[in-house]
Amino acid sequence: MVTLNINNKTYNLEVDAATPLLWVLRDVIGLVGTKYGCGVAQCGACVVHLNGEAVRSCVTKVSRAVGQKVITIEGLSEKNDHPLQKAWLELDVPQCGYCQSGQIMSAAVLLRENKNPTDEDIDAAMAGNICRCGTYLRIRKAIHLAADIQQKTKNG
Amino acid sequence: MISFTWLSSFRYTDKPGDTDPQQWNEINGYIKITQDNTIKILNPNPEFGQNVMTSLPMIVAEELDVDWEKVVVEMGPHDSVKLGPQFTGGSNSLRMYWKPLREAGAAARQMLIEATAKTWAVPVEEVTTKAGMLYHEKSGKSGTYGEFASKATGIPVPKGVKLKDPKDFKIVRNSKKNVEGLKIVTGKPLFGLDYKHEGMLIAMIEHPPAFGMKFKSFDASETLKMPGIKDVFSLKMYEDDFEQAGFDTRTFNDLLVVVGKTTWEVMNARKKLKVTWEPVSDTKDIIAGFGRKREVIVPAGLESTDTHLEKMKEYASKPAQELRKDGDPETAFKNAAQIIERTYNAPFLAHNCMEPMNFFAHVTDDKALLVGPLQAPGWTEPTLSKVLKLPPEKIEIQMTRMGGGFGLRAYGHYLVEAALISRQAKAPIKLVYSREDDMTYGIYRPMYTATYRAALDANKNLVAFHVKGGGIPENAIHPNRFPAGAVDNYLAEGWAIPSNITIGAFRAPRSNFNAAAEQSFLDELAETMGKDPIDLRLELLQRAKQNPVGKNNEYDADRYAGVLKLVKEKSGWNNPENKKYKRGVAAYFCHNSYVAHVVDMVERNGQPYVERGFSAVDCGIVVNPDAATNMVQGAVVDGIGNALYGGLTHKDGAAVQKNFSQYRIIRFHEAPKKIEVHFVQNDIDPTGLGEPPFPPVFGAVANALYQSTGKRFYNQPFISQLKELSKA
Amino acid sequence: MGKRYFLPKKTLFVIGALLIFLSIVMSGFERKPAFDKGESQRDSVTSVNAFMKVYQVLMSPRCMNCHPSGNVPLQGDDNHLHTMLPQRGKDGKGVYAMKCANCHQPENTPGLHTPPGNPNWHLPPADMKMVFQGKTPHELAKQLVDPKRNGQKNMAKLIEHADDGLVLSGWNPGEGRTLPPMSHDEFKKYWLAWIKNGAYAPAP
Repeated sequence: MVTLNINNKTYNLEVDAATPLLWVLRDVIGLVGTKYGCGVAQCGACVVHLNGEAVRSCVTKVSRAVGQKVITIEGLSEKNDHPLQKAWLELDVPQCGYCQSGQIMSAAVLLRENKNPTDEDIDAAMAGNICRCGTYLRIRKAIHLAADIQQKTKNG
Repeated sequence: MISFTWLSSFRYTDKPGDTDPQQWNEINGYIKITQDNTIKILNPNPEFGQNVMTSLPMIVAEELDVDWEKVVVEMGPHDSVKLGPQFTGGSNSLRMYWKPLREAGAAARQMLIEATAKTWAVPVEEVTTKAGMLYHEKSGKSGTYGEFASKATGIPVPKGVKLKDPKDFKIVRNSKKNVEGLKIVTGKPLFGLDYKHEGMLIAMIEHPPAFGMKFKSFDASETLKMPGIKDVFSLKMYEDDFEQAGFDTRTFNDLLVVVGKTTWEVMNARKKLKVTWEPVSDTKDIIAGFGRKREVIVPAGLESTDTHLEKMKEYASKPAQELRKDGDPETAFKNAAQIIERTYNAPFLAHNCMEPMNFFAHVTDDKALLVGPLQAPGWTEPTLSKVLKLPPEKIEIQMTRMGGGFGLRAYGHYLVEAALISRQAKAPIKLVYSREDDMTYGIYRPMYTATYRAALDANKNLVAFHVKGGGIPENAIHPNRFPAGAVDNYLAEGWAIPSNITIGAFRAPRSNFNAAAEQSFLDELAETMGKDPIDLRLELLQRAKQNPVGKNNEYDADRYAGVLKLVKEKSGWNNPENKKYKRGVAAYFCHNSYVAHVVDMVERNGQPYVERGFSAVDCGIVVNPDAATNMVQGAVVDGIGNALYGGLTHKDGAAVQKNFSQYRIIRFHEAPKKIEVHFVQNDIDPTGLGEPPFPPVFGAVANALYQSTGKRFYNQPFISQLKELSKA
Repeated sequence: MGKRYFLPKKTLFVIGALLIFLSIVMSGFERKPAFDKGESQRDSVTSVNAFMKVYQVLMSPRCMNCHPSGNVPLQGDDNHLHTMLPQRGKDGKGVYAMKCANCHQPENTPGLHTPPGNPNWHLPPADMKMVFQGKTPHELAKQLVDPKRNGQKNMAKLIEHADDGLVLSGWNPGEGRTLPPMSHDEFKKYWLAWIKNGAYAPAP
């Protein structure tokens, strides 16, 4: 029996403690926003926040999440209004959209730790998230825009 | 029959009661309107990032004359009667649906007008519309589309309704946001892999470790003991005499299947299978697509890339099939003052859609429901019907959003697999491919080579052009494409080596290699002739326009020249300010559109990096400009990535690359910072955009690399040569 | 008797004896590691020979990959830059969404080409990079014994380091990775031999 805190909700689940968090989220709990892209931490589609850090849930055992706080894309904001979500929509970033949950979750850690990231900071934060459709330019722009939005929301 | 059952799992709006069929007045296959004026437009073509889910409904909304912000868009079911061919591929969606959707929108509007005129007892000509409202100015009457929708359904569908003049477009040609954007950024279930069904089990196939093999025997005793596992069995996909149609490619026919409750449990249990494999002998495939039937021998053997390369060298020196000849190339080459000959090579490429292959199937004795990511339901349904022995009316295919397609998802083998598994397991199942399964399954972009020769006279004029192309298992030659038509003496030849490595359409098939080879060759030719690369192309195109050589020249020389001129202007090609960039240019025509790119390389940390790019595109009317820009930018990134890094090799039949740690995909920091996209403004009906911007990127990158390093790059992936250069 | 400021012969003798005794005892503490059971060999030849073996291990991929000269860890037997270019960061634990522990779990992830694991996966911090890559045996040996460059380790700590968790994980690298050129036992033997014989650096 494993007790998890996902998006501020408690789940008591009968799962093998060695199951990757990704599959517990997708198959057991039914939160499918976090995606399976490679299963070996190469592509970043599976990124969730574990106590605020951008872990790759495809290689993170669910046991590591017990007693910790997990946030997935579904829980990133209550009203779908995280600055990144707003910026993504403003700039119409996605093409197929499959990688975008992971992109946003990775970018969220960047924006929390660096209010005004440079292009080099963005490279360093995002080089682990693959996009086959090539939306990287738009993601970069959207991160800059989200930083602005974040700044204005704080000041406004 | 439009089924609404799946709507409850994938709801596109939060409006209560919108799944109630009674409320919707179906004006035609694409348009439904409720009494309270909610306009729903169905998207016929499955979406994989090319924006059709937004762009196609925009076309309907334009002619229908409704407020786009109030439109509800929904993915249509598979229904070729009401929704047309529904084929996402070949950059065809906008081109194929432009007229039919305009007509559907205009006809529906006309029906609403007639219903209103009847109700108000006024002449039809006096009723006007604006953004979902109907007006009769003379009497001051007005009403919503909703009020008259049910009456409109009774009006016979008018023929030959007048369509808008493009200059009056209010929605089309205006950028509109992706209708599923909010769902994407909030992690809503959208993709095939997200789909859930009551009682659904997960199935995975334990594929052979190599092409040219099949399973001989298996021992599943350990697997069956694993938690969550329901069953392990084998099944045959096609019967021996099965006639394959156009998109029926499959790599392995004998399937070893594990079925269980959750994905992880099945992934784990697979590892406990004890399987013996054996080589396959020569097999005979019967291909019966496109109106003709032929037998193809799929050779036995465990193939390796080094033997592939050896064989290609061998075949390249043998006579080949003549594909086109103009003038007398043999004599021209014999008498040439100078001959330039170059050979280009490119490897197999794996599609690597971000969402691995998967499909849901629930098959019973009398019907089948299939849900998942698929480009071409119309191609797979007949196959399912044959294999399951069910009539097409009993087979329902629902298309989810696809996490990428690139051509791979046009081949419905995984639907057939899922359906057969469901029937045998007697349960609804979702078939899942791991990334390793997906990457090693095949249906690759073929391995290609081409040798180009150009003959110059004493004044460095181009007098003859010869391309001899080959590949495994097909060559990439498009004999009627530029520069055919621009050179007096022209010869195109092709050869192929059969293989058991399966191949399929990969974003601009054949073109994606041609544009690399041919556009590099033209660059080298220009240098030899002492001409600017853009000028050389423009000169040749001028010749093709004014005094074309031969027949069936497959391109419009004006439009082709048009994109070159536009990219030359927008990139500041001759601007001395841009001297710091190592610039490469390429242009190509495919899938009815014309694209030219200039890529600008700089040196970064000792490596060449495409910092920015300029693209000029002629694809006719651009329905959704910002989304179209996104597509072109994405194609440039995709092209750079594949040209520099992409490659699937084999050793003893096995794919060497099994996951992204081995198959390199272009990453964030490797993508250009800026790609400026310019569309030629004309009123030509839309042609394609998914594929056309992709092929010329390869050529532009090769040409920029030459400027960067002083060396020509003939073999993809270019990273191999770059690594050699940095060691030297 | 009666001369107040003269030290009597007896006192002098006692003081003298005390001094001699103290100097004998103190010479026992000077420059000898605490563990030393009186072996003080200070044999530079043995020490240097042992270090050349140690050098082989430290410069092998499983060790050197996390002691790069730049700010990106190395990867693979060919020491290429780690895919995705994770950055060292200030504390050596990575930055933003690419911190080491985001992918590298407390234990090895099963399977080929998956992240190897350790609860303390990190690079040396930015202010003490402890670079191995590109160092000659002389340079590396000197660096390893310098507390200002080796993470404030004295000799005792250096000896302990042979059994450090991250060091040990070099011998448990996960499926498909080559082991260091000798066993950990052998490595430790040479490590100790080097240090106990004076931690000499080979000639430059």
